[in-house]
Amino acid sequence: MTTAKFDELIHPSTRLSLVATLAAADWAEFAFLRERLGLSDSALSKQLATLEEAGYVATERRVSGSRRKVRARLTPAGRDAFDGHIAALQAIVDATRPAEGSTTRS
Amino acid sequence: MDKVDSEQARASLAEADRARRQVTEEIGLPRAYWWGMAAGWLVLGIFGAVLPWWLTAVATVGFGTGHAIFASRLLGGRRRTRQIQVSAAVAGSRIPVAVVGMLLGLVAVTVLVALALDADGAGHASIWAAGLVAAVVGFGGPDILRVLRRWVRA
Repeated sequence: MTTAKFDELIHPSTRLSLVATLAAADWAEFAFLRERLGLSDSALSKQLATLEEAGYVATERRVSGSRRKVRARLTPAGRDAFDGHIAALQAIVDATRPAEGSTTRS
Repeated sequence: MDKVDSEQARASLAEADRARRQVTEEIGLPRAYWWGMAAGWLVLGIFGAVLPWWLTAVATVGFGTGHAIFASRLLGGRRRTRQIQVSAAVAGSRIPVAVVGMLLGLVAVTVLVALALDADGAGHASIWAAGLVAAVVGFGGPDILRVLRRWVRA
């Protein structure tokens, strides 16, 4: 069972999208992430480096033909952190529902 | 965490969901698979017109076996492009069923069209029928699979 735990590192919008994308995949190429998230090379590299330092993401450099490609994947720790963060966000939303309901009724 | 209100939390959940949906749009089979399938369809149609029935049957079984061997890794729908591998949890387990069901349906369509053309007196009915279905597979395969996925919730 996932324990709800708000994660300040994952929460910023760009990083959340990046981690959510990686959470739905086994791995993704740097070019795919850059295109889907609409980030520059340097911005994406910075976000990946931050997540990699935290142990949430692992990157692998591969040579394909004459090109060097970077492949990123979420680590088990990153997956746990993401699941916990989503559970925490859901808990915040759920906590306000009864209050919203009583406001509507009054 | 205290600084995050329910509206912000809701927006973040929507953002995460949008990112996940973008990945689910990557579920499918590579374009080369559909063109290869279309080419095989046409070749089998030609075989049906020019070869004895038993040789056509052998070729059809051979094609089916080759498909089972070489395309089995692709049928999960997780490697449509070389840029991402969708996780098994997101792709689900119904994609191979949808693909095989689609191919069986198209075989039935090919046979029905060939019989109709033959009854109408058309020459080389199997080639025309296979050509028609090959065009459908080549150009429309990804779209047909997308619709089928929605139907079977895969």
